[in-house]
Amino acid sequence: MRFNEKELIFLSRQPSERAAELGMRGPKKGDVMKRRLVKLIVNFLFYFRTDEEEPVGALLLEQCRVEREDDMAFSIAFLDEAERKYLFECDSQEQCLEWIDAIIKASYEFMRKNLIFYRSEIHRLTGKDPLEQYGISDETRFQ
Amino acid sequence: MPPSLRRSAALRVMKLNERSVAHYATCNSPPDKTGFLWKKGERNPTYHRRWCVLKGNMLFYFEERDSREPVGVIVLEGCTVELCDSESEEFAFAIRFDCARARIYKLAAENQVAMESWVKALSRATFDYMRLLVRELERQLEEAQQVALSQQAKNKPKKSQVQGGNGGRSKPTSLQGPLTQPTGSPEEGLLSLIPGKENGVSWNKPAGLSNGVGEGSGVVWEAEGRGDSVRPPPIPPRRKTPGGSLEDPVSPGTGCFSKLHDWYGKEVAELRVEWLQGQ
Repeated sequence: MRFNEKELIFLSRQPSERAAELGMRGPKKGDVMKRRLVKLIVNFLFYFRTDEEEPVGALLLEQCRVEREDDMAFSIAFLDEAERKYLFECDSQEQCLEWIDAIIKASYEFMRKNLIFYRSEIHRLTGKDPLEQYGISDETRFQ
Repeated sequence: MPPSLRRSAALRVMKLNERSVAHYATCNSPPDKTGFLWKKGERNPTYHRRWCVLKGNMLFYFEERDSREPVGVIVLEGCTVELCDSESEEFAFAIRFDCARARIYKLAAENQVAMESWVKALSRATFDYMRLLVRELERQLEEAQQVALSQQAKNKPKKSQVQGGNGGRSKPTSLQGPLTQPTGSPEEGLLSLIPGKENGVSWNKPAGLSNGVGEGSGVVWEAEGRGDSVRPPPIPPRRKTPGGSLEDPVSPGTGCFSKLHDWYGKEVAELRVEWLQGQ
């Protein structure tokens, strides 16, 4: 599948929601834990070798499951291949929980669900559809 | 160094979880827009008809409408969409990026209406747009809830304001006033109880977390009458104050929530003017 790599690399250089050096292990048998600079930007998780400017790779964070694996570790698995887990090791429990929280909330789907909920609550409380003033109340993604 | 190694160093491609990205394209999450578009080829200049699926900030393109896998995807973050004159195609528009040596993706719709609809949808496909919208609605909801609560207080002058004496139907969290700045820590403690969380699938939350954790917003959830199928999703992330993350978030550098909120409010107001003008 083709993707616009250059633009994705450019995105990886933008200010991040969260960034830290973590231990990271890929999902394949034989993958080992490596130190990576991990950056959360919009719904992507970029990971870099600690001394390099261009990312080794990116994970799109849609349709994924984040799980606490240990005191200080969490995993990301994608729903289409749930047994393959990317493992991340943090330096503290607090950091681990913060990353889990941030990643869960980093998906477009998550935002969409929030938006739908807020919309219906506002409508329930005020009788008005808050999306009408923006002219977007009919868009399918907000139903 | 042997030639094969040299070559692979120069051609190093960034990894992407491609299989899962392709799965996202075809999974049952609702697309924002679908339709046929003519897309100018990557290598040759001819236009190919492609079935296009816009989901969030990703534009997938398939060979056929029923193809199981996309030919490719354009990540739309940081792009601008513009109309363009094309010699061979009417109703043409382009997706352009800011970075050096970036590609320009040329597309064409079947008619004027379709073109305008796609241009509108693609310009609003960035994460930031959605995030702004969510925050704006979050703010409106908080306002509406405060109005509702003060109405309640007015209607029950004899009861204390702290406990709504309506038989436990609603569960206010804390009513010490308008939103306190959340720190995220109450959530963390409760999050540790949850073995796994999925973000694209149906959201099952234990009741403990859905009560407006730590936000102090006086949120009133209706515990009954809605059934189990509707649980309020957790509050979207707030910006960390400086020192809480290694880099500045994608927003003006400010740790003050009200300033940040005003900034977003301005952005939304500007967006609104833009849309009204575009109607």
